[in-house]
Amino acid sequence: MEKVLLDYDWTVMAPEIIIAAAAALLSLADLFLRENTDRRFFSWFSLAAVIAAIFFTVSRFGQQPYEILGDTYRVDDFALAFKTAVLSGVGLVFLLSAWGVRQEEIRFRGEYDYLLLAAALGAMIMTSSADLITLFVGLELLSISSYILAGIHRERYASNEAAWKYVVQGGVASAFILYGMSFVYGLTGSTNLYTIQQRLVEAYQTGYDAFVLLSLFLMLLGFGFKIASAPFHMWVPDVYQGAPTPVTSFLAVVSKTAAFALVLRIVLVGYIFLYQMQIWQQVVEPVLLVLAGLSMVIGNTAALHQTDTKRLLAYSSVAHAGYLLVPLSTLGAVLFESTFYYLIAYLVMTMGAFTVAALLEREAGHGNISGFAGLSRRSPGTAAAMTVFLLSLAGIPVTAGFFGKFYILMNALSTQHFWIAGIMVGTTVISYYYYFGIIRQMYFRPPASKDRMRVPMVPALLLVIGILGTVGLGVVPEWAVHWIGDLQWMSALTPLNAGPPGP
Amino acid sequence: MRCTDIYIHPSLLGQGLMVRISFDGVTGMEYWANYSMTAIFFLLGLALPAAAFTVGRWLRPHHPSAAKIITYESGVDPFGDSRVQFHVRYYLFALLFVIFDVETVFLYPWAVAYDTLRQDVGLFVLVEMLIFVLFLFIGLIYAWKKKVLEWK
Repeated sequence: MEKVLLDYDWTVMAPEIIIAAAAALLSLADLFLRENTDRRFFSWFSLAAVIAAIFFTVSRFGQQPYEILGDTYRVDDFALAFKTAVLSGVGLVFLLSAWGVRQEEIRFRGEYDYLLLAAALGAMIMTSSADLITLFVGLELLSISSYILAGIHRERYASNEAAWKYVVQGGVASAFILYGMSFVYGLTGSTNLYTIQQRLVEAYQTGYDAFVLLSLFLMLLGFGFKIASAPFHMWVPDVYQGAPTPVTSFLAVVSKTAAFALVLRIVLVGYIFLYQMQIWQQVVEPVLLVLAGLSMVIGNTAALHQTDTKRLLAYSSVAHAGYLLVPLSTLGAVLFESTFYYLIAYLVMTMGAFTVAALLEREAGHGNISGFAGLSRRSPGTAAAMTVFLLSLAGIPVTAGFFGKFYILMNALSTQHFWIAGIMVGTTVISYYYYFGIIRQMYFRPPASKDRMRVPMVPALLLVIGILGTVGLGVVPEWAVHWIGDLQWMSALTPLNAGPPGP
Repeated sequence: MRCTDIYIHPSLLGQGLMVRISFDGVTGMEYWANYSMTAIFFLLGLALPAAAFTVGRWLRPHHPSAAKIITYESGVDPFGDSRVQFHVRYYLFALLFVIFDVETVFLYPWAVAYDTLRQDVGLFVLVEMLIFVLFLFIGLIYAWKKKVLEWK
């Protein structure tokens, strides 16, 4: 008996349905509301939708994996974990937007919120599908919404420039991914990742080895762009600097997490046989490690002479993409756990850092690092919070960032990759210079004005969440590690239906 | 290269037709060899106009006059600038047209197969299409309220 649409349990899609419905509702509300109505409540409404979606996602943990329509939609622990991370990031971005995105600055304030919801929906699809077409649709939904969001500040030149650069380079990257996918389809005749998993081996062994590797490298080229790793990072500084700060934090946190979910799923399900055949170690791993090393070196050294906060954080984001690539390249035993831990750590500390950046940008009217001067005297709390985030980004012990890096370093060392571990430690030391540069500004430079800086409720709440996350994950990492370790990560790699379709 | 069998597996019909073409005894080298055809056509495409113009230059007499060197426009005297500008509004209409075009393309086979689908799937097949149309309808309302339909 074939399964028809109504045989599926569609309630597993509740998070996606909630987000899609909220986006549709807001787009209609935006059209029928009067033009001068304050649309800031849109962000609160979206936040409520995101929280509901998180609730439905989290409540599915521990249940059996489930798929809809031949793995085009799939819930397993891998999907749920990444979706929770993505949604938490989106929730924090909405919190930041509720305060930081003003209607008097951005004329289409309503569009901002439902585009962000659409982008979140794309990111969610990227985490929980095992079909190339659906994954690509998710990726494009995220990307296209992000292009518009980067340029939503229409009156600002930098925002326009960011959107333009992003759309051109992003389009090229998508083309590469699609080209790689077309080779996969040509070799296997399927878009289902688990069918691909089986047929790609056959293809490899029957003389198509060059095409299998070509497809992988074409896709990795595009993915490298999406996760902002060097040498595909040229868009990062301009887009991060030009986009409105909440959008930048979205790009840094949510896009990166979703892109990593996509990369892990496609590469590990489709190409894991290369590892078993020792080809991965000879061909793919060196390439990925070189990308990782380049990202660390370029990201950290280019950040040294940045004077703009968002630009500095952009290069730091490139460096972090490098660290995150290490577990994927070496395929160590705790690959999923260390990547996911690092992504959550990155989420809390980066959101915190961007909140402070947004606060100072509003206060000073510019994004220059000199805005940090004397912050410890003008607002000791904000300065202390920023110090915590920076220490975590730099990877100083008792913070989330330290344990995340340690986890990844263990991954590299346990698989005998000492040179990449060396680069990682070396570039981390270099990064101290520019992270501590900001701390020096805050504590040892005289402030531009003596007035105390007011920190409104919403950003203050974000800072508290950021500190709790950063310090909590750093002081008692066992909690998170146990929780992450108990998840059935391997369920992402195994098909639910016995046997491939077709003879 | 020989294509030996094309089959459609019934279990895949629900998620769209999936056709797998399997090749027998084709090695990687032969697969590359397929691209030689593309390369030949590419080179032919480059060579043909170049050759035609060159040979034409050798064969034709060359006696230009003022009337002869006018741009050829099907026998009519050319007028206006060669650079023609279209109003940006056409672009919006084109986008809007694509929405409804896709909708028609999607609705038509659905309508033809409706009775069969109805027996197999039930009323859900109608609900499914309504969801699709609803989302396109939101798009139309958006275009309407953003005054895309007005020609100003």
